Amino acid sequence: MKSVINSKKIMLIMITLLLFIPISVLLVWSFSRLWPSEALFPNKLGLRGWSYLLSPRSKVFSSLAVSLFISFVVTVLGLILSIPAGKALGQLNFPGKNIIEVLILAPIIIPTITIGMGIHIVFIKWGLADKILGVILVQLPLVLPYGVRIFASVFKALGEKWEEQAKTLKANVWQGFWYVVFPLIRPGIIGASILMFNVSFSQYFLTFLIGGGNVNTLPLLLFPFINGGDRVIASGIGLVFIIISLVFMFLLEKALGKGNDNSIGNFYYL
Amino acid sequence: MLDVILAGVTKKYKDQVVVDDISLKIGNGELLALVGHSGCGKTTMLRLIAGLSQPDKGKILIGGQESARLKARKREIVMVFQENLLFPHLNVADNIAFGLKMGGVSKKERVKRAQEMLNLVRLPGLAGRYPSQLSGGQQQRVSLARALALEPKILLLDEPLSNLDPKLRDELRDLILLLHRRFKMTTVLVTHDRDEAMMMADRIAVMYYGSLLQVGKPVDIYCRPVSSEVANLFGQCNYITGFLKGSEFQTEDYRFTVPVLKKGGRVEACVRTEHIKIIRPISDRPSGVVIEKKFSGGYSLLKVSLGGMNLIAKDDNLFDLHVGDRVGLDIDWPQVHFNQV
Repeated sequence: MKSVINSKKIMLIMITLLLFIPISVLLVWSFSRLWPSEALFPNKLGLRGWSYLLSPRSKVFSSLAVSLFISFVVTVLGLILSIPAGKALGQLNFPGKNIIEVLILAPIIIPTITIGMGIHIVFIKWGLADKILGVILVQLPLVLPYGVRIFASVFKALGEKWEEQAKTLKANVWQGFWYVVFPLIRPGIIGASILMFNVSFSQYFLTFLIGGGNVNTLPLLLFPFINGGDRVIASGIGLVFIIISLVFMFLLEKALGKGNDNSIGNFYYL
Repeated sequence: MLDVILAGVTKKYKDQVVVDDISLKIGNGELLALVGHSGCGKTTMLRLIAGLSQPDKGKILIGGQESARLKARKREIVMVFQENLLFPHLNVADNIAFGLKMGGVSKKERVKRAQEMLNLVRLPGLAGRYPSQLSGGQQQRVSLARALALEPKILLLDEPLSNLDPKLRDELRDLILLLHRRFKMTTVLVTHDRDEAMMMADRIAVMYYGSLLQVGKPVDIYCRPVSSEVANLFGQCNYITGFLKGSEFQTEDYRFTVPVLKKGGRVEACVRTEHIKIIRPISDRPSGVVIEKKFSGGYSLLKVSLGGMNLIAKDDNLFDLHVGDRVGLDIDWPQVHFNQV
C-alpha cells in the first residue's frame, strides 16, 4: 500500500517537472540578456525583453485584445453549436449519423492548409477575407470537433431520463435544459470551453491566411520573433500565452464549477 | 382524481411490438399493479400513460379526454422512475419544489410545501442535504415527495421498491399505501415482485410479452389464474394434467375425487405448493417418496415423487422429514384451479 502511494507521489512529481521545466526555461530566457549556446545559465540577466513587451510599440496589448476577442467569440459560438450537435449525436439514432460524425471530425484529420486555401478563395468573394469576422468563421470548424465529441459523450452518458423526469415534473423544454440539463453537463462545458479556447487562441496559419495581416493576433506577433531568433522576446510572449490560458481556465472554473460539484462529479463522469 | 382508459394501445420499437393491443381501464382512485417479467412492456405502459412515449395505435383517455398526443407536462400525471433521478445539483428542498418552481409557484410557498412534503414522507430536517448525502431509501422517499408536491391526479410508480433492502422495502411500501389512501390519487405501480403487487394493489394486471393476460383482484389472480403463465408469476404451482368428468379427476396413475365443476374433458390442474398437505401415508390417499428437501425457516419445500410425477409441497416442518421418507399427500382440491387444455 505504501509503495503504491510512493509511486503515485513520484509520478506526480515527474509530471509536474515535465510541465514546469519548459515553462521555467521560458521564464529564464525572458529575463536574460546574454545566453550563449554553450552556457548552462545565462551570462547576464536583464529586462530588455519585458520592457519591450510592455511598451506600446510592441503591440502586445492590442494583439492580445484581438486574440482574446476572437477566441472568446469562437468559444461561445462553438458551445452554442456543439451542445445541440453533441446531444443529437449522443442520444439520437438517425440515418447518416456515421457520415456526419466523420465530417465533423474532418477539420482535425485533414491538414488545415487544404481547407484554408479553399475557404480563402470563397471568403475573398464574399468579402470576409482580411476581417475579424472571417477569422472567427474560419476558426469555428476547427474547434467544433472538440466540442461536439465532448458533448456527444457527455449526453450519451447522461441519457434522456433526466429530461423526461423534468418533463413529468411539468418543466417545458427550456426549463428542462436550464434547470436540469445545463447543471449536469457543466463539467463538459468547462472541458470543451478550455479546449476550444486554446485551439483558437494558438491558431496561427488560418488566422494568417484569412486575416491577411490585418487581423493581428498573439501567435502572429510571436512568430517573427521565433523565426528571427529573438528568443528573449519570444519567450516573453510564450509566457503571456501560458498565463492567458491558465487565467481562462481559472475564471471558467470559478464561473461554472461553483456549487456542490462533488455531487455531480462522482455521479456520471468516470 | 381521474381514471385512465387505454383502448387498443399498441407501441413498437423499431420492428418489435412492446405493447400489443392493450385495452385496460384504471378506475378513479384505484391502485393498479402492473406485473410481469422484465421486458414485458410494463415500463412502456407507464411511459405511454405519462406521455413520454406516443402510442402507434389506439387511444388513451385520461379523465374521459383523448390524450394520446398530449404532452407530458400538460397531463396531471407524475411519474416516479425506478432510479429515483433526484437532481444531483439541487438540495432536497429544491428537488421537492422543482415541479412547483416550473409551475411558477412563489419561493415562499415552495419552501413551505417542500417542508410539508418532507414531513409527509417522514424525513423532516433533511431539506438542506444533497441527494448524494442520502441513503437509497431516503432518496426514494424524496423522489416520492417530489412527485406528490405537484398533487398529481395520477401517480405512476416504476418499481419504486426494487433497489431497496427488505426492511426499507416494507417501510416504503406501507408509506406508499398510506399516502395513496390519504390522497386517493389513481396510482399505477409497476413491479415484478408478486408479493408487492398482492399486498398493495386493488387490482393486478398481468402482462406477458406485451399482452395483457389477466386483470383482476389479487385474490382472483391468485386463486383463479387463467393460464399457467399467470399462475407461475404468483407463486409456485404443480401442474397435473388429466381427464375431468363429474367429480372424478383421472390422471395417468391416480384417480382423485374433486368438487364437481362445470368444466370437463382434458384439463390441467394448477395445484399450489401450499395446497398439498404432507400427512402420514394412509391407504386411501396417494403416497410417494421425498426426493428433495429445501429448508427455508418457517417452512420446507419437499419434492415428492408420486408415480410418474414430481410434486412440490410446502410443508410447515411439523414432522422431521428427510429425503427417502415415505409420505402421504392430501391435496386441497377445492382450492385447486383447473384450466381447459
